Amino acid sequence: MTISLLAYLLIPLFSAVLIQFVSRNKENLADIIGNITLFAGLLNISYLIFNPVNFKLSFSNIAQDGFTLLMIFMIYLVAFSVSLFSTGFLTKEKNRHHFHSLILVSVSAMCGIVTAGDFFTLYIFVEALAVASFALIAFDDNEKGIEAAIKYFLLTFPASIFILLGMAILLFTTSTFNFAGLQNIVAGGYLSSPIMSGVILILLGFLIKSGVFPFHTWVLDAYQGAYSPVSAFLAGTITKIAGVYAVIKIAMIFKFFDLKLYKISETLMFIGAASILFGAIAAMRQKDFKRMLAYSSISQIGYIIIACGLATPLAILGAIFHMFNHAAFKTVLFLNGASLEKSLNTTNMEKMGGLEHSMPWTSWSSVIALMSTAGIPPLSGFWSKLLIIVALWEGGAKGYSVTAIGAGIITLAYFMVMQRKVFFGKITDAAKKAEEMPALMLAPVMILCAVIIMSGILFPYCYNYLIETITRTIL
Amino acid sequence: MNIILIPIFLPLIMAFLILFISEKTKYIKELTAIVTTLIALMASIAMFGGALEFSLPWAGYGADFKLKTDNLNIVILTASSFFSFLIAVYSFGFMRKKTASTKWFNFNLLITQAFSAGAILSDNLLLLLFFWEGLLIFLYAFIALSNENRNSKATAMKAFIINAATDLCLVLGIAITGYLAGTLNMSEINASGKLTMHGWAIGGYLLLMIAAISKTGAMPFHTWIPDAGKNSNVNFMAYIPAAMDKILGVYFLIRISVYLYQLNGGMQIMLMTIGAATLLFAVMMALVQTDYKKLLSYHAVSQAGYMILGIGTLHPIGIAGGLFHMLNNAIYKSCLFLTAGSVERQTKTTDIRKLGGLIKNMPLTGLFFIIAALSISGVAPFSGFFSKELIYKGTLLTGHKVFFFIAVIGSILTLASFLKLGHAVFFGKRPETLKETQEAPFSMLAPMLALAGLCAAFGFGAKLPVKFFLEPSLTFLSLEHTLPLSGFHFDKLFFISVIAALIALISHILGYKTFSKPSKASDHIHHAPGLKQIYSMAEHKFFDIYEQAMSFTPLLGKCLMAADNFFDFLTDRLPSLVINSLSKISQKFHTGSYPLYMALTIIGFALYMVFVLGGTK
Repeated sequence: MTISLLAYLLIPLFSAVLIQFVSRNKENLADIIGNITLFAGLLNISYLIFNPVNFKLSFSNIAQDGFTLLMIFMIYLVAFSVSLFSTGFLTKEKNRHHFHSLILVSVSAMCGIVTAGDFFTLYIFVEALAVASFALIAFDDNEKGIEAAIKYFLLTFPASIFILLGMAILLFTTSTFNFAGLQNIVAGGYLSSPIMSGVILILLGFLIKSGVFPFHTWVLDAYQGAYSPVSAFLAGTITKIAGVYAVIKIAMIFKFFDLKLYKISETLMFIGAASILFGAIAAMRQKDFKRMLAYSSISQIGYIIIACGLATPLAILGAIFHMFNHAAFKTVLFLNGASLEKSLNTTNMEKMGGLEHSMPWTSWSSVIALMSTAGIPPLSGFWSKLLIIVALWEGGAKGYSVTAIGAGIITLAYFMVMQRKVFFGKITDAAKKAEEMPALMLAPVMILCAVIIMSGILFPYCYNYLIETITRTIL
Repeated sequence: MNIILIPIFLPLIMAFLILFISEKTKYIKELTAIVTTLIALMASIAMFGGALEFSLPWAGYGADFKLKTDNLNIVILTASSFFSFLIAVYSFGFMRKKTASTKWFNFNLLITQAFSAGAILSDNLLLLLFFWEGLLIFLYAFIALSNENRNSKATAMKAFIINAATDLCLVLGIAITGYLAGTLNMSEINASGKLTMHGWAIGGYLLLMIAAISKTGAMPFHTWIPDAGKNSNVNFMAYIPAAMDKILGVYFLIRISVYLYQLNGGMQIMLMTIGAATLLFAVMMALVQTDYKKLLSYHAVSQAGYMILGIGTLHPIGIAGGLFHMLNNAIYKSCLFLTAGSVERQTKTTDIRKLGGLIKNMPLTGLFFIIAALSISGVAPFSGFFSKELIYKGTLLTGHKVFFFIAVIGSILTLASFLKLGHAVFFGKRPETLKETQEAPFSMLAPMLALAGLCAAFGFGAKLPVKFFLEPSLTFLSLEHTLPLSGFHFDKLFFISVIAALIALISHILGYKTFSKPSKASDHIHHAPGLKQIYSMAEHKFFDIYEQAMSFTPLLGKCLMAADNFFDFLTDRLPSLVINSLSKISQKFHTGSYPLYMALTIIGFALYMVFVLGGTK
């Protein structure tokens, strides 16, 4: 008996519709339904992943592989955190049932993406997610939010064109979109030029959606301009699932390195390295908390892309694990950014300082998250970066490996600057009035911090999980 | 327990026990040291003739704790234990009036004895290195603790750095030797054939040789010895530079030159040159000194030159002479330092310009001084004459007569300097302040008596030392010779020594008549044209490599500081400058303008296509 994962897609969708009807005048009900739906989903997927029975069967009783399971877990984890956080954050807003609906629809779309078995289904859900996230970014109906939403839409629409074009070419040449079918063709060992160009176009589309250098421009304004919890949701999952997930999937299917497609491999690695360096360097001098995190996001996505370019099994494992870790630590940082915004009414770091006294929980969870980002052992970020760097070194891309290590130092540098400006140092006037967030809003941050620490300390188990469930599908 | 371990481990354990004895107790520390060294001496004598061995696996990789006695090192061990014992006895009296800590003196004495015995007995080169380096540490401690003024610390540092540098050569030399021979055990290297002089072996030998001759105190590694003569006490001088260092250095030089390596003519000339240069220059420096201890210190360097010259001949006679001279030198040089100690203790000074006529107050000390001085100057029938005679014969047999002449000149100057010293200290006019001077106590006279007695006993034909010490050693080193080693010969060499003595006497009388003061009897040589400038340079430490090197340290420090600043700039300032400027540039491109962003995206798309399609086959 195999377990289908369709429910993860359908139940949030159902709840999203339900909220619109039930809680039109009872805003609290929207909170309850939204959170319960996501929490139930999170419990359910945790049960699937951590159930030893399933593990013993190497998840062969489940329709999808471990990669998908991990992604669903990640989506629900971040969505539940954001949703719970927003419950506290949204007090003044009237139309919170719209907000929860949109979150649930996005979750549904993302689950559609990760469970999709072919490019067409994937594309449909990506577009659905784009619409939902457009609405989410614009949710904060001030000037900045609208501008961000429009920029997001306009700068990523070429991506849709490229993806469609690429799929059309694929359909003509191979008459299949199916991942399994494509894998069979790849196993044949020969790829004709038309197939290649199709793949290249699809890849380009998803690269634009992932927001890597030089297609990063929308990321900055979208993350900065969006409503703060939405920024967390965008950075943590939406851009990862809409763009990076597909890039990893393509890398897994086509194995650029094995097929001697050195050019694509080289290009991807170059883009990855450029993103890492660009994001890290540009983040150094940012004054706005959220904008700095946006640059940091670009840099961290670079690590995933560089690993996809190499596409050896170890690199893919590293990429997947890093995506998961990135979701955890970047969500923590963005949620903390939202907390700061709420308590200080600004995201300008120049006006902050010495917040460790008034907001100790926020401050120290940020320290944990940034240490994980910078790759300090034994936190999870260290292990995923280590996997990627080791894979790069073993794969012969030693220059890129060194670049990745060097950028890790810069990452640490800009986070130290941030930490000193915001949480340590002298207390500013604004910081004196700041108050710690209520427990309801701290809870999701603490849960994510626990995930960061546990997946770092229990890395051998995580690694075992990745090996058991994912390598099988790559090889 | 194996008897071979006694000379090493007994002093070692007792040394640490001494540290637990209170500084206030009288005699206990001294008696402990005396008894311990006596037992070590008896153990050494008991091992005579036998071939004992003791082996334990130690650090692995061929580094075994392997001790072995043979006819060479047992002679050396007996000599070193004997000197430890004598110095321990002498210190019993001498240290009573000193401010320096007797506890630390006895500790250092015992531990030096232990480590020297270890170095002498070890068959494994790495084990030898271990003991050798251990001696270095306690050399520093010895000098630094011998006097409570600042100068002794500075001298200790100087001695430490010079010896550390040459010990580094020893490390490298042992590494090369071990690599070439495939084993670190000396007996195995010898059994499987000596290393011949080509390729890496030359470097290996030279490095080991530097370590050996620097231990004997040859030029240019001698400069700490005169400083120590001034800044530390005579017990130390009589023990380490006069006796122990010569014993160890000559022992190791013979080991490597005869036992481990097969030398060629070039090496022979080099060794002899080092020896000749050392003996000549050091004796010239000794000649003009006006400090009792410092004058003797230069002689300690000069006599090392004779030993190296003798061994450098590579002729059995010369090597026998070098070995014999080493024994003799240890005896008379220690004796001379001990007389200096007695004089210092009784008169509170070692400046020979303030001394005079002490033979009336200290007749025994004066007598011992005369015997030892005649011996060192090579006057028959005392021991120094016979060992020098062997060295002269050895140099003549190599055919390089120039070295013989230098050795004779050295001998003349040696006698001249001792005529000056003896005249100034024990004869001549006695200053009023020294009227009440007393003779030294018995515990100090006894070692001097023993040493002076040995000077005489090893003289008069030298049958005793040749039979018991030299012949077994030469047999062990498989050096065959036909000439007799002992006995008194009325040959040319004897007459040359008489002529040399006469020249020295004439020179002394000339100087004394000119300057009418015994302490200035060498000034006609000191102020001779040409030599005057050289002496002046030497007195300003122009030839002292250590001081020269130290004068460069401020400059070196500045260079290092500059380098450090540069690296600081490279690792700290430069990256942050570059990153900040790059960051500024990127800020300029991110204005929020939609057309600019779109343009960037399109350029990126174009570049992507060029990159990817450019190479797909």
